[in-house]
Amino acid sequence: MHAQAVPDVPSEAVPPMLSVRDLRTYYRANRLGIKREVKAVDGISLTVRRGEIYGLAGESGSGKSTLLNCVAGAIRPPMEIVGGDIDFAFLSGYGGLHRAPPAEVARVRWRHLSYIMQGSMNVLNPLRRLRSVFVDFAYPHVGGTRQQFERQLHAHLARLNLDRSVLSAYPHELSGGMRQRATVALATVCRPDLIIADEPTTALDVLVQKEVLGMIRGIQREMGSSVLLVTHDMGVHAHVSDRLGIMYAGHLVEEAGTAEIFRNPLHPYTKHLISSLPRIGDDAPRCGLGGAPPNLADPPLGCRFHPRCPLAMKVCSGEAPAMLETAPGHRVACFAYNQSGGA
Amino acid sequence: MAGAIRDLFRDHAEFRIGAVLVAFVLLLSALASFSPYPPESVYVVPPDVPPSLAYWFGTTSRGQDVFWELSVALRNTLLFGAVVAMISRVIALVIGLLSGYKGGWVDRALMSVNDTFIVIPLLPLLVLFYFVMRDRMSWLALALIMACFGWAYDARLIRSVAMSLKAREFTQTSLFSGMSTREILVQEHLPHVMPVVFSTAMNNMVWSIGLEVTLAVLGFTDVNRPTIGGMIYWANQHAAMVAGVWWWIAFPIAAVTMMFIGLFLLAVTANAYIDPRSRFRTIGGAF
Amino acid sequence: MSDLLLDVCHVSKIFSRGGLLSRQRITAVDDVSFQIDKRRPEILAVIGESGSGKTTLCRMILNLELPTTGRLVFDGVDLATIRTAADRMMLRQGVQPIFQNPFDSFNPMKRLERYLFLTQRRFLAATQQPASSKAAIDDALHQVGLSLKEVSHRYPHELSGGQLQRVAIARALLARPKLIVADEPVSMVDASLRLSIVNLFRTVRDLGISIIYVTHDLATAYYISDRILVIRNGSIVESGDAKAVLKYPQHPYCRQLRDAVLLPDLANAAADVPISMTGVKGTGEPDRRP
Repeated sequence: MHAQAVPDVPSEAVPPMLSVRDLRTYYRANRLGIKREVKAVDGISLTVRRGEIYGLAGESGSGKSTLLNCVAGAIRPPMEIVGGDIDFAFLSGYGGLHRAPPAEVARVRWRHLSYIMQGSMNVLNPLRRLRSVFVDFAYPHVGGTRQQFERQLHAHLARLNLDRSVLSAYPHELSGGMRQRATVALATVCRPDLIIADEPTTALDVLVQKEVLGMIRGIQREMGSSVLLVTHDMGVHAHVSDRLGIMYAGHLVEEAGTAEIFRNPLHPYTKHLISSLPRIGDDAPRCGLGGAPPNLADPPLGCRFHPRCPLAMKVCSGEAPAMLETAPGHRVACFAYNQSGGA
Repeated sequence: MAGAIRDLFRDHAEFRIGAVLVAFVLLLSALASFSPYPPESVYVVPPDVPPSLAYWFGTTSRGQDVFWELSVALRNTLLFGAVVAMISRVIALVIGLLSGYKGGWVDRALMSVNDTFIVIPLLPLLVLFYFVMRDRMSWLALALIMACFGWAYDARLIRSVAMSLKAREFTQTSLFSGMSTREILVQEHLPHVMPVVFSTAMNNMVWSIGLEVTLAVLGFTDVNRPTIGGMIYWANQHAAMVAGVWWWIAFPIAAVTMMFIGLFLLAVTANAYIDPRSRFRTIGGAF
Repeated sequence: MSDLLLDVCHVSKIFSRGGLLSRQRITAVDDVSFQIDKRRPEILAVIGESGSGKTTLCRMILNLELPTTGRLVFDGVDLATIRTAADRMMLRQGVQPIFQNPFDSFNPMKRLERYLFLTQRRFLAATQQPASSKAAIDDALHQVGLSLKEVSHRYPHELSGGQLQRVAIARALLARPKLIVADEPVSMVDASLRLSIVNLFRTVRDLGISIIYVTHDLATAYYISDRILVIRNGSIVESGDAKAVLKYPQHPYCRQLRDAVLLPDLANAAADVPISMTGVKGTGEPDRRP
């Protein structure tokens, strides 16, 4: 079902919507003469194709939010991009939004690239009615008269099944779910090519979560946009992502179509993520993963997962496994599979 | 704390300027102990000598060396400000922490007292105190009175911090670890409000010194004790500006202005450092 | 004296806010009754969405809030009659909390072991030698899979969320409570560590301590709990054996909740998310507009 929704083979003629190549982003802190370098994202390559929802899963500290900020061009000290390139279909040649000239960034923002954040309150100014928020964010990118914009806005809200009365409301007058729906509407009103969504439903109740996810997916399918969706919740990924990347401690450890990941997880960490979650109706005892996520200021040598890995071999503590393809479209970084001529 | 000061020094030009100004004023006031003349005596040097190598800041019409007089005056004025700030901080902390943590009727009672103190007009009251107490009005008594009136705004500020601390989970953990209210306030909450206390202390010093100078210039304090306001009072009495003895007024005003600007800059930058919202602005949010 | 550890008897809590003229009354908890038996320690899950009143219920059981009407009796003591500091200490020894955010459960400016030693000293000083308190703390930490060596001289930011939550459980255990109230204890813990924390609750129950496990996560509630209460808008809509209620929910709200759980499976994934966004409007979620 997933595989059919998107063209499986990226054609050479059409560049991907987003491609990240060997991105390294470190946090460099210098407090009281002690230098600390936290390698939050350490050599990640991935591509987001046109018209797909690419999901990034991982725990806190795995670097998924850092990666997202890099893509969005929100680089501020102590965060630093040490190496790698980020190219968009609509903005390439600069190596990332953070290196593009301001005029280009302004051209691209909202029109081509927009965001859905976790806390809708951060986007929606509490002192302004939603109509003003829409005008502030989107109107400069749309052009035309205010009446045209208003008409466009109404059509867009109607498409999302939102009542236009929300435009006259202040953010605090709306429930959390309604607010998040409004931010989805805000992010999609300019029909952007790429939408970045950071934990868009984490703060919501389960009943509302499902609806907001359905809304994101529905509007994405209709507009043919690409979405880079970051959440730690595997359930959310199972529902909306077309392809899935699993991150652990600053590395991408596995990548495949969502169905493939759930049917045939290869990396021991992915296996654990999928098998450990309790399910209603399943009484089998499960156990958590031992150990703690590594300290990224001083990560373990070799594969960063090896201290917690049930399959750890000698080689795992010596060198880091590369991302290799085991089947078409399925990449994994683990010595248990296909590394350097083995297996 | 040391780390915070270092960060401030590195990142904020305002903090650097403020620190240099305050350091200069402090140095000048520290020299008071080396004064060759007793500070209260008059006609120890030739009067009305303009600034020269022998008398750096000149001499007054009352035969005092402006440099040494200023040094002693600065020391006394700073001491006054520090005493007011210290006492009023203690009152503000007790009221603010207790009110914020306890809530309910304790909060309502304390805050109604607090709001009463906020709206009392201070200057006429201080003049009234002066007329009632007359000669018994020492600088310490004045400092005590001003401390009793100078805590109310900051108690409200501390209360709001305490209220947010109360809502945090570690307060509950402390409570269920068997700590008493006093222990929670002193050991758990006090360290969190100390930055607020420091920054408001500097603002409070600016306020109390300003008020003291005003009172002294008007002659409503013990003018025989050398203070910045006292110096300006005597200069006015001798019509220094008319007589052309400008240095008698210029140097004290320059010194007190430096002190004000210095303390103000320190308070402002410390405030910016403490306030998470302004810190957010400087460090920057995601977008 | 009865055999009830906790008797929540027709408890309601009404908050009123606003000024003198326009007072608004909000019923956070509405006529809730349930019991926990002393002889049979259990894990009781309290399920509800945000704003359902589950946190208020917790605060009342912890005696941080008094009910507007109804009675709360813990181990024979009516919580409304507690006046003195000594009585309060007695109660706090019997009922201990575990909080949602492990990173905020301990003062960031203080060392962790401070809370362990305090709990040990304040609640059990009479029964123990000072020398053995270190051993007792080490024991409690071992029960949660840590040791005093790992924790001592550490500040909260030096430990992971999972470790901090373990320390919080160890601290609660040190008081030798009869009941632990855990308000969303794993919602901020990483997925890979979550299950080991949840599993700890089973260990704690087998030590003879009942646990009230407040959560919005039906899957872990199904996995760990013996009995379940589903709360909506302050009142209990369904209660009973956890497995039975979650497998075959009777109340429509419970069915709705269960169906909204996003399973990390493909069995019900993708296909059932409506691509046409019908039904987006009709939620049970209250709109806050007047």
